[in-house]
Amino acid sequence: MSTRLRLALFAVAQLCLLPAIWKIARALPPFGNPIEIYGRSIDTLGPPLRHISNMVSAVNFDFRGLDTVGEEFMLLCAVTGAVTLLRGIRGEDRGAKAERLPGRPLLDRAESTILVARVFAPLILLFGLYMVLHATVTPGGGFQGGVIIASGLLLVYLGEGYDAWRCLAPSRVFDAMEGGGSLLFLLCGLGPMAAGGVFMENLLPLGSIKDVFSGGLIVIENASVAIAVIGGFAMLFLEFMEETRAAETENER
Amino acid sequence: MSVLPWLVAAWLFCVGIYGIVTSRNFVHLIGCLSVCQSSTYVLLLGIGYQWGAVAPIFYDHPPGTPAVDPVVQALVLTDIVVGATVTALLLAMALQVSRKHETLDPQKLRPFIDEGRR
Amino acid sequence: MTALVPLTIAVPLAVAALLIAIAHFIPPRLADAAALLAALASAAICAVLAIHTMQHGALTYWFGGWMPRPGVVLGIGFGIDPASAGFAAFIGLLIAATSVFAWGFFDEVHAHFHVIMLLFLAAMVGFCLTRDLFNLFVWFEVMSVAAYALTAYRLERPSLAGALNFVVVNSIASFMMLGGVALLYARASTLDFEALREAIARAGDDPVTTGAFCLLAAALMVKAAIFPFHFWLSDAHAVAPSPVSVIFSAAMVGVGLFGLAKLTLDVFPNATAPQSFAQGGFAALGGLTAVIGATMCWMQRHLKRMLAFSTISHLGIMLLGLASLSATGFGGMLAYLVGHGLVKGALFMLAGILLATQPGADEITLRGRGRDIFPAGIAMAVGALLLGGLPWGILDAGTQLIGATSSLGVAWIEGTVLFGTAVTGATVLRAALRIFLDLGPTANPEEEQSPTEEEAEVADRPLWLMLAPCVFLLALALIPGEAARRFLTVAVGFYPKLAPGDLAASGAEWLPWLSVFLVVALALSELLRDRFPTRVLVARDALLRPIFFGVRSLHTGLVGDYVVWLMLGIAGFACALAVV
Repeated sequence: MSTRLRLALFAVAQLCLLPAIWKIARALPPFGNPIEIYGRSIDTLGPPLRHISNMVSAVNFDFRGLDTVGEEFMLLCAVTGAVTLLRGIRGEDRGAKAERLPGRPLLDRAESTILVARVFAPLILLFGLYMVLHATVTPGGGFQGGVIIASGLLLVYLGEGYDAWRCLAPSRVFDAMEGGGSLLFLLCGLGPMAAGGVFMENLLPLGSIKDVFSGGLIVIENASVAIAVIGGFAMLFLEFMEETRAAETENER
Repeated sequence: MSVLPWLVAAWLFCVGIYGIVTSRNFVHLIGCLSVCQSSTYVLLLGIGYQWGAVAPIFYDHPPGTPAVDPVVQALVLTDIVVGATVTALLLAMALQVSRKHETLDPQKLRPFIDEGRR
Repeated sequence: MTALVPLTIAVPLAVAALLIAIAHFIPPRLADAAALLAALASAAICAVLAIHTMQHGALTYWFGGWMPRPGVVLGIGFGIDPASAGFAAFIGLLIAATSVFAWGFFDEVHAHFHVIMLLFLAAMVGFCLTRDLFNLFVWFEVMSVAAYALTAYRLERPSLAGALNFVVVNSIASFMMLGGVALLYARASTLDFEALREAIARAGDDPVTTGAFCLLAAALMVKAAIFPFHFWLSDAHAVAPSPVSVIFSAAMVGVGLFGLAKLTLDVFPNATAPQSFAQGGFAALGGLTAVIGATMCWMQRHLKRMLAFSTISHLGIMLLGLASLSATGFGGMLAYLVGHGLVKGALFMLAGILLATQPGADEITLRGRGRDIFPAGIAMAVGALLLGGLPWGILDAGTQLIGATSSLGVAWIEGTVLFGTAVTGATVLRAALRIFLDLGPTANPEEEQSPTEEEAEVADRPLWLMLAPCVFLLALALIPGEAARRFLTVAVGFYPKLAPGDLAASGAEWLPWLSVFLVVALALSELLRDRFPTRVLVARDALLRPIFFGVRSLHTGLVGDYVVWLMLGIAGFACALAVV
């Protein structure tokens, strides 16, 4: 198809869809007045039954915990896949130098960059930990916090350069974190079964509401998600960074 | 006004598709795919929104305060993970494509040059 | 017994996570064995559940112990019935057979292949068993992500291009699916199948639920490769490594169709517009898909591409069975899913054997080269005949049942099924005879000129190791149809909304033999074409060339075109649903 024909067909499809979209938009419950049987039930049942105040975490880790199992393993799968695709022929060697493009001058890192990176790396780490720990009380959670911590690692690259980054970020540690975190999350499902309950039943003591360690099993699940997400995203960053490494042999190119 | 969020969602989806259809660079195409996906965020969050309600977090407000639907927010969180994973995979593929052959143009990239016979 | 339900997914997931965590420290063979055992364990648990539910009725398992409260379903449930559990068991078995086939195939990267395979398995099992719409989406997505990564595994030019097409089209499908889920949630404020069914019945004829059906059905049809959403399949299946193609063609696309069946029968049985659309529209699309797939299949010379198009054709036939919304058609679809999966899995393994032992998988280039591995040739001929309608085994039971559905007139359906079956069977038989018996004209400048690209897969496995799982699958496919029908009679009983039907039904006695005759005749007419008078050939070409050219020019290989087709398909759905 030529681009013109494509666009013509696309326009035809849009024209056919317009009345349908309009009809659906008119028939949906008006914005701001939802039918919320499910959501309201969770708002009512969550605090008394699970002693936690963040209802999004209650849905993610308790009411619909199985979705998060799927989500966690989706991440595991994508990271494994991306690692496989990126490594390809490159392999997993260590200790190589960063690639230099011919003709581009190699400038030293500005001192201000180093300063900003060194100041902000620990702060971001701290903020990420805060997000992880407060999953059950205030907005936050293992996934969000884990991503923040993992992206804090990028500041090491920015501030200290490629070699330091390589020393600090060994892939097998991230592999272990990623797999181990996912496994721990799964064990949170299987553990209650061993104790005579059903998969992911929250049998642990619940603690008191508004406390950081409230919610029973949710605390462990949240921590395991954080571990898996840190490992997974750090692994992704690592492998994409590896693309900047200088090729060692001719056939790697 | 009450239909505006739904129309925005539909618009985002269609404009993303338009970008994919006309794209000449795979990285641009991946961006368009994310635009498509953001239509689902708008739709889901719009469905859960309630006028005058607070966030579904009962820390400053006592339990029982009218709050927006926490379920759709949890669904969106999962949806974001989907987006992140797919984008990571696609970018990895695009990187390998650009290494293997010079072009990143989706309109020049066919899995099979010779189609069948006869 | 209920405690077994979560283990169906937990076992493969746990082994996958463990493998990732410790893959650096264990020998690769251990990873092979662990993956195989996990797949077998999952299959065995599913089989036990299938048998249990056959005797004691359906099971529901509420995760987290969140039993439904009056008026609201709080958690996620798995609903086990014989059809779902049986299909899940079949998938587990297929993954196990494939990991034997792929023994040692993917050594280089620390068990990454096994991890992705196991996640793929868990996702498909979860997809079959869940009774929660969003959870269905989550498993759908895990399945897709695993498939994306596996497709591009080889990192060659075609596999990357094919994988990109696959990812883009299927991602759009998953956004549409989520859009459908969101619309249903807006209307019903629940995600549970049963609660949704009741809410949809209450809502009556409503644009929101109809729109949701349109989006969900289109998304699942993308996965199930139904015209005009099928274009990605031939690219992805042809370029993936052979063990992966086995899973794609035999299980993944079937899972999409199974999901579509569940959606139509379990969630939307009380909605009038979707139901009448299912009867008319599904039949039309199924017929078109069967014919286009078979035509494209006949034109191919690359073995895996040929098999990929044949899969498209057979998916169309299965959709024809579903379209009747009767017990006969649904039972036929289930039997066909399993029978086709077994045969097509075996055939993709044979293509993999050729890729591992010969230079490439091009029918013309390989002419006569298969003589050293003639046992593979026998298996391929058996597979071709089964595909072409040999009246024996599970696939035949499915063909009979689908042929006997009468929603749109038996002759119309039987004609389409016959065309799809005979042409795809003939194509595969043609390739088998050419490769293993050196048949066919030798000198044809046009054909010699344009070979497909050379490719090869690692050849570090003995022939018997690759052939054993393939023969095992073919042997399973030869299980008498009677046994399958007995199982199906019970299994379809769990779907009370189906129109009643006769599970012992079969078409005319001579029909399968006509199909087999056509298979042999078509294959030989192509191979012995230099014995025909020139005038016959010229007339044939004048007649067929425009058709072939027309169908082929649709399959451009460009992702932009595929997305336009997808939008046209949705627009068509919207128009059809507005009319019915």
